Amino acid sequence: SAGGTGAQNLSVTEQGRFSSSSKDRTLVRCQQYPPLRTLQASAALRAASDEHKKEPWASSSQQHFESPPAEHQPEEKPQGPHPSYTGQGGQESEDYESEEQLQHRILTAALEFVPEHGWTAEAIAEGAKTLGLSVAAAGLFHSDGSELILHFVSDCNTKLTELLKKEQKLVQLGEAEKKPIDEFLRDAVEARLRMLIPYIEKWPQALSVLLLPRNIPSSLSLLTSMIDDIWHYAGDQSTDFNWYTRRAVLTAIYNTTELVMMQDSSPGFEDTWRFLENRVADAMAMSNTATQVQSTGEAVVQGLMGAAVTVSNAGTCRAVTAEFLLNVSICFPNPNLENNMEKLSSFVT
Amino acid sequence: MAAAVVPALRCSLLQRWPHRCGPGVRAVPGAGAALRPCSSRVAQDGINQPVIDRIIRVDHAGEYGANRIYAGQMAVLGRSSVGPVIQQMWNQEKNHLKKFNELMVAYRVRPTVLLPFWNVAGFVLGAGSALLGKKGAMACTVAVEESISEHYNNQIRTLIEEDPEKYKELLQVIKQFRDEEQEHHDIGLEHDAEATPAYSVLKTAIQLGCKAAIFLSERI
Repeated sequence: SAGGTGAQNLSVTEQGRFSSSSKDRTLVRCQQYPPLRTLQASAALRAASDEHKKEPWASSSQQHFESPPAEHQPEEKPQGPHPSYTGQGGQESEDYESEEQLQHRILTAALEFVPEHGWTAEAIAEGAKTLGLSVAAAGLFHSDGSELILHFVSDCNTKLTELLKKEQKLVQLGEAEKKPIDEFLRDAVEARLRMLIPYIEKWPQALSVLLLPRNIPSSLSLLTSMIDDIWHYAGDQSTDFNWYTRRAVLTAIYNTTELVMMQDSSPGFEDTWRFLENRVADAMAMSNTATQVQSTGEAVVQGLMGAAVTVSNAGTCRAVTAEFLLNVSICFPNPNLENNMEKLSSFVT
Repeated sequence: MAAAVVPALRCSLLQRWPHRCGPGVRAVPGAGAALRPCSSRVAQDGINQPVIDRIIRVDHAGEYGANRIYAGQMAVLGRSSVGPVIQQMWNQEKNHLKKFNELMVAYRVRPTVLLPFWNVAGFVLGAGSALLGKKGAMACTVAVEESISEHYNNQIRTLIEEDPEKYKELLQVIKQFRDEEQEHHDIGLEHDAEATPAYSVLKTAIQLGCKAAIFLSERI
């Protein structure tokens, strides 16, 4: 159908970039087709559901792109070939949008429907509808909602990083106090977990999808970079094995707290925050204990070395004294020489 | 020998790694089915993060290892006639390590997991070579410093190929350190390193170990 082929062509951008969609490797051939067809197809896709002419612009997606988003009001443009494709000076037309940007917009719009439909293709289809696209746009993504979940996680991590950056600026400007480490970690993890609250009902489903072997590289990379960000803004400057220990500990805290949150039914998730506080306190205590054990160990080693030196000195001392007394007793012949020798030998031993 | 090593090292350094791109979900070409979401860490002023990562990680590991080697040598030969010489070289290595610690924090590079291992291995190598006598210690120094000089030269080449202007500070640091390692190498030769029994065998073995250490530290 036109909608179907439109969706496939949609995934080939004007520059003929290789599509990351696994749908059809033969899309590479589309690089040879005149790029105008792509825009025609995308216009057709948009026009397919003509009742939705809403402004789709999601300002939150703006900050996520390094290339300037070129699309402004696609719904207002007329259907059919776009005369401004070549534009002035060979520049791209105003409503040119990369595949990535479009996918990003669809996923952002789909998040609104997740509490109702879960992390599924239905939610993506609904999101596409609000943008004025055909529901076939959901075909751009996997049916298990992996991309939607990964998009959401990535989004949350970005928001967390910005929050931490803002706090850091305030501290640098002297407008806020520098938090102690345990409080900082607690607040950062809590802020990140609070972003799950609107989707908490369906989050267990999302976690299970994230653990699929196919998604593990991406989800692991997102998790590790988030934990690294938190430690970086907490002021961690370790360059030895501590770097790994700290991140491992914080990852464990985050994961366990997330799981507790899934099962928490207390008002305002206060059980979860209390659990988090206790775990962070445990981690601090553990690190203090580790430092203490290390210094105790060093002290014990020093003590042993000192004792060894003393004993060896004492041994030498005794041997020297024994020699001296022997020489003295030879100089002064004594009927009790045997007694003396016995005494000396017992002294030496 | 250097000519054969250079292309291999250069290839490994410039290997395509997924770039730490900006926030959001990105389609990484050839990444396979799903969109590959990137971390929220933004590339600092467009530097080639994976390459810089590797460079700083392996250099940090190298200086850390060199530190431990000299510590091992001092433990055995500290009170001998070459003690002051080794102490002076050790002090310079300590400075190098301090500089790389700073760079590591500035570029947010993770240290290699093998650090505890290099801790022990370096000390054992230093102490072991020192037990072979003063010449043995000097032979170990010559072998290690030659490996490190060559390695730094490769890195300088890589950075110059990438963009000499962008990496000016890093290039300066590496050039200075390479010159100092070369000095150590010459000091080792001055102190009769080549007179060690089984010098060539010892040198080859140590240099093989260094190559393996460099390979591993870049990746793990």
